[in-house]
Amino acid sequence: MRPENYQAVNHPPSNEYELNFGPNHPGIEGNYALKVKLQGDTVVEARADAGYLHRGFEKLMEDRLWIQNISLVPRICVPDPVPMEVCYSLAVEELAGLELPERAQWLRVLQLELSRIAAHLFYFGGHAATTGMYTPMYWGVADRDLLLDLFEELTGGRVYSIYNMPGGVRQDIPRGFLQRLSDTLDYIEGRLKDYDNLFFTNQIFVKRAKGIGIISQEQALEWSVTGPNLRACGLEFDVRRDDPYLIYDQLKFDIPTEHGGDAWARTLVRRLEMVESISIIRQVIKALPDIKGPVRTPIPNPLAWRVPAGDSYARVESSKGELAYYVVSNGGDKPYRVHIRGPSAMHAVQVLEKLAVGCRVEDVAQTMFSLDACPPEVDR
Amino acid sequence: MSAAHSQNLNVLLQEIEGIHLTHHNPRRLRADIAAEALPALLALLRGRASYVHLSAISCVDWIEENQFELVYHLWSYETSVLISAHIRIPREPGIYLSVFDIYTPAAFFERDIHEMFGVYFEGSPDMSKFILTEWNGPPPMRKDFNSEKWVMETFSWQEYHPDWLKDLEEQGGGIVSTPESIRMDNK
Repeated sequence: MRPENYQAVNHPPSNEYELNFGPNHPGIEGNYALKVKLQGDTVVEARADAGYLHRGFEKLMEDRLWIQNISLVPRICVPDPVPMEVCYSLAVEELAGLELPERAQWLRVLQLELSRIAAHLFYFGGHAATTGMYTPMYWGVADRDLLLDLFEELTGGRVYSIYNMPGGVRQDIPRGFLQRLSDTLDYIEGRLKDYDNLFFTNQIFVKRAKGIGIISQEQALEWSVTGPNLRACGLEFDVRRDDPYLIYDQLKFDIPTEHGGDAWARTLVRRLEMVESISIIRQVIKALPDIKGPVRTPIPNPLAWRVPAGDSYARVESSKGELAYYVVSNGGDKPYRVHIRGPSAMHAVQVLEKLAVGCRVEDVAQTMFSLDACPPEVDR
Repeated sequence: MSAAHSQNLNVLLQEIEGIHLTHHNPRRLRADIAAEALPALLALLRGRASYVHLSAISCVDWIEENQFELVYHLWSYETSVLISAHIRIPREPGIYLSVFDIYTPAAFFERDIHEMFGVYFEGSPDMSKFILTEWNGPPPMRKDFNSEKWVMETFSWQEYHPDWLKDLEEQGGGIVSTPESIRMDNK
């Protein structure tokens, strides 16, 4: 007979031990923990532990005006903030029935692609650092800084630009901006060769990255993997082409894919994407001078702006995958509900917990970083 | 989406009783159905209509109608259509079925909704806390939880009156030098 309050105590086998990976470690951009159970050097179980960056954005947004929320949303993902602003604006525009001027659409694409390049540079740097290569990290951060200079000139803010708003963008580009942008792109494109030599074809990296964290295409679809991580498994899908928003259907770009599904393939897809992004921005630079008109549709008094009741689901392709906003209005001057579907919510929790199993302990950080997860997107 | 696809889908969806379809635009389809019919709809869409991607599950608290609205956003890579299936469940007791057996990613969203709204999903693999590990209050995303009121009741205001502010106030307070005057000085 066992007593009523009997609880079995499970003692782990003596060859197993637990390791708290994080919340502060090189595997991810931000604070995020992974509790791993190890047998020798091999991970046998992993549990994601989030919440270190929870700021309650969804609740805060319900208490703020439609227009005020623009200054909140970019903070949800620090390395890639522009898609947050654009996606929220797209959802509100759909609800309010606002027509977006053509010039504003081109300017948004320009920012989105600039932000993608900046985020990928950050990713290469961070990923290299997880394998102990620190030079690409310094290079990546330094080159990203040149893009932040452009953001500063265009919007006034280096990271959080708060430049997009429902109805368009805040103001037109400064004089001579396109020339400086073009120069910076030439420089970045020239640097890619150096990155190839230092990082992408470097055997130290290739040997570490190949065969790490393999996802098959079937698993990727099963686990709702999106974005570059999905394209690294061989599925040619991009929200920009298959569910087009803004003027992406007027632009020419390829969708690079790889077939390995491992950390190496995920890095390579991003490397190829940067070339496409540079080509997209060049198309924008070419077309922009001929597109006249306003950059913003005027909205009624923003302090008393009431958006008609309804709901909308806007999706964009961020540098990390499919980003979506579900916005509900009850006809008031504030959103009734905003749900943010960050791509990392899938990658950093379910996918990572499964991928980490079977990894050696020194590969855990690299597996995490290769998924390019952004913890604040999980915590919100 | 081609016309043939659309027709096949419409025929399929007629199998679900009491379904109400609305086309927002060619790539967005809204389906309002009864809560009992949702698992059948999802099984149908995933099994026979290529909707393999669960984009998100959103929850909305309609406190005045005493209901929770659950929205399942599904995407088909083949037909490029996003279907949003809307259901309403009573706010009390706030229990619904898990769709984890149909869509694996549902586990994350259901865990999140349980934490933020207190909706319990029967059959979900993990309903433990995730983000709000140290929170013992009511589910915070519910409309009857007022975060500002909670802050006022929980934290006390601290007096902040540093020396530099006192100096400023002695000089008359407010903005001492406008940005224009600073720029003029620099010239």
